[in-house]
Amino acid sequence: MLLISCPWCGERDEVEFHYGGESHIAYPDDPEAITDDAWGEFLFVRNNPSGEFRERWLHTHGCRRWFNLLRDTSTHEIVRSYRMGESADQSSGAERESD
Amino acid sequence: MSIEHARADHFEHPSELWRASEPRASYDVLVVGGGGHGLATAYYLAKEHGLTDIAVLEKGWLGGGNIARNTTVIRSNYLWDESAAMYEHSLKLWEGLSEELEYDLLFDQRGVLNLAHNLHEVREGIRRVNANRLNGVDAEWLDTDGVKEFCPIVNTSSDLRYPVLGATLQRRGGIARHEHVAWGYATRASQLGVDIIEGCEVTGIDVAGGRATGVQTTRGPISANKVALVAAGHRSVLAEMAGLRLPVQSHPLQALVSGLLEQRLGCVVMSGAVHVYVSQAHKGELVMGAGIDAYNSYAQRGSFHVIEKQMAAAVELFPIFSRAQMLRTWAGIVDVCPDASPIVGLTPIEGLFLNCGWGTGGFKATPGSGWTLAHTIATGEPHRLNAPFALDRFAHGRLIDEHGAAGVAH
Amino acid sequence: MASSAPSEPRMAPLSGWESRFVEASESGVVELGERPFLAHVNLRLDPSNLSARARVRETLGVELPLSPNTVSDGAGHAALWLAPDEWLLVGPTGSEGEIVGSLQGALAPYHHSVLDITANRTTLELVGSRAREVLATGCGLDLHPRVFGPGRCAQTLYAKTQLVVWQIDDVPTFRLLVRPSFAPYLAEFLCDAMLEW
Ligand SMILES: Cc1cc2nc3c(=O)[nH]c(=O)nc-3n(C[C@H](O)[C@H](O)[C@H](O)COP(=O)(O)OP(=O)(O)OC[C@H]3O[C@@H](n4cnc5c(N)ncnc54)[C@H](O)[C@@H]3O)c2cc1C
Ligand SMILES: [Zn+2]
Repeated sequence: MLLISCPWCGERDEVEFHYGGESHIAYPDDPEAITDDAWGEFLFVRNNPSGEFRERWLHTHGCRRWFNLLRDTSTHEIVRSYRMGESADQSSGAERESD
Repeated sequence: MSIEHARADHFEHPSELWRASEPRASYDVLVVGGGGHGLATAYYLAKEHGLTDIAVLEKGWLGGGNIARNTTVIRSNYLWDESAAMYEHSLKLWEGLSEELEYDLLFDQRGVLNLAHNLHEVREGIRRVNANRLNGVDAEWLDTDGVKEFCPIVNTSSDLRYPVLGATLQRRGGIARHEHVAWGYATRASQLGVDIIEGCEVTGIDVAGGRATGVQTTRGPISANKVALVAAGHRSVLAEMAGLRLPVQSHPLQALVSGLLEQRLGCVVMSGAVHVYVSQAHKGELVMGAGIDAYNSYAQRGSFHVIEKQMAAAVELFPIFSRAQMLRTWAGIVDVCPDASPIVGLTPIEGLFLNCGWGTGGFKATPGSGWTLAHTIATGEPHRLNAPFALDRFAHGRLIDEHGAAGVAH
Repeated sequence: MASSAPSEPRMAPLSGWESRFVEASESGVVELGERPFLAHVNLRLDPSNLSARARVRETLGVELPLSPNTVSDGAGHAALWLAPDEWLLVGPTGSEGEIVGSLQGALAPYHHSVLDITANRTTLELVGSRAREVLATGCGLDLHPRVFGPGRCAQTLYAKTQLVVWQIDDVPTFRLLVRPSFAPYLAEFLCDAMLEW
């Protein structure tokens, strides 16, 4: 079981969370204007790397906040968690003492 | 099974059955991935299309991937016409495969039950039975008593949290011995002239002028006219080497086996609502599987709570299992498409072919998948069976949504 | 909307369990009981709105905690942090109508939500020197006093059941807030866990 650090609540067992797939997928500015290929890509295609992956999790049984995790899909190592609106490179909620 | 040369006694890796080959500098066709699908592709290319200048490149050993990690449920009772046609073609191939390969695959049509635990599932099950029959797939609906009769050890009491309200039954469904499938295809393909190269990892795909021209491997570059990517959970990584982005996500899928028990479970039982599928292998161990772990992974292991939940489900359905000891658990990496259906066919890159997205249910499709991909590679066109499973369906919206029939999958 | 106290006598979700609790409890070691009907009010507002927070303090005499998973007390009320913009206010039995009414008045100028959720959860109290061990039988939280002490709360799972765990003193006493329909299951599980001590 993964031990996941919620940027608000700190470390909790994986069973408290819900997985939400890749993070930072922006909704197209003008869906009407893009091609079918681009729309299909937006709907269905996500990165699927063997290595570091930025993904969304929801702390379902805790604070019920969505947040981001930078996790290695080949080792399951969790590099960092960070709040919505932050980027993976910024210092994160989980690394600083929760305030 | 009445095959004289049955090799059911092979539990070790019988690599003496196929020629060990050194990679040559060039081939007509390279098949990347020596799992069931890759080996079947090579076999049908040789057998059906007379192509023999073929190498299968496997980074590990034959049967080290999902082909030998899966729970071997075989059935063809999918909902949509496209899937029913594909899986039924596959099931028909299974029905003659031990004879054809002269290798006992322990294919055993003991029947597959898909339990329904609520009104919605009952309606969905009956609908699926009707859809299957229209497609020439054998299917029956059993009520609770019928389930009890067909599989007496299922708990059909009405006070269950998820009572058994009925089940679909496909009598022609069943199980097979997984690694025998790899070994059987490998043996015959090798006899037909295919080079099978283990310990050869593909690290790059050469594309020039929109055409695949070969691959880079840990044992040197190999050029080819055609390259087929048949590497299960790892296909995104491979496709990316060719600059292709695929609509698949890789997840761990876990399974477990018990110690050897007396034969008590004469069929395959699957349940979407309580989330378990289980059969009893020929030697006597219970083989059961769960749903995928939610997160993306290439680590070939999943989280304990997933199998814990699945064991709880198994014990709820089969109180008789409550004292069975589980001996081993493991995971394979499965690549899942957004519509729970595979992609088999052409890519935008000429000479590069793709077989992926079989997710949790591709073992049953091994013969059909190899057969249709071989057709596509040999003729340059998809067969009508795999044409609907094209990569471009995600741009056109013609999805084949089998989440319902895939259910717990398998 | 302010809710009025019900006229019919209320039925506690674990009424009838008293003798089971007595049987499972051992004085000074670990004891279990139900504290039903505490007033529960859910409050949501923008935590950066200083004036709104001040209004809450003036109205209820309790400060809204901003640190995740902490509780503050004041004037007979407790405020539990549930999320960055969400708190559970707990007050004496029967006070929910008053809390809701007064907060709605006080917060009227601001974007907010105040809701009486008294019927949403009942409260179990697990007390005694072994209470921490009993709780740990089904709960993955790090309950070590270094990490989790008086004034801490957490939303988590105990044996798959969603809970708010709230430590009120260092006896320790834990309050376990649980949905009424899960309460018998939780009680059963805890009684079983208590047998060991
Ligand atoms: C636990 C579990 C239970 C399952 N249960 C069922 C079931 O009951 N019924 C069912 O129908 N299906 C089931 N499946 C799914 C089924 O196993 C797969 O869909 C199917 O085996 C995929 O076939 P394959 O030949 O492509 O995969 P694999 O056997 O995984 O073959 C892919 C091969 O590619 C190789 N490879 C990867 N990358 C490279 C590279 N760069 N270079 C060279 N080689 C490479 C791998 O080593 C591997 O051997 C299950 C899967 C799992 C994990
Ligand atoms: Zn949280």
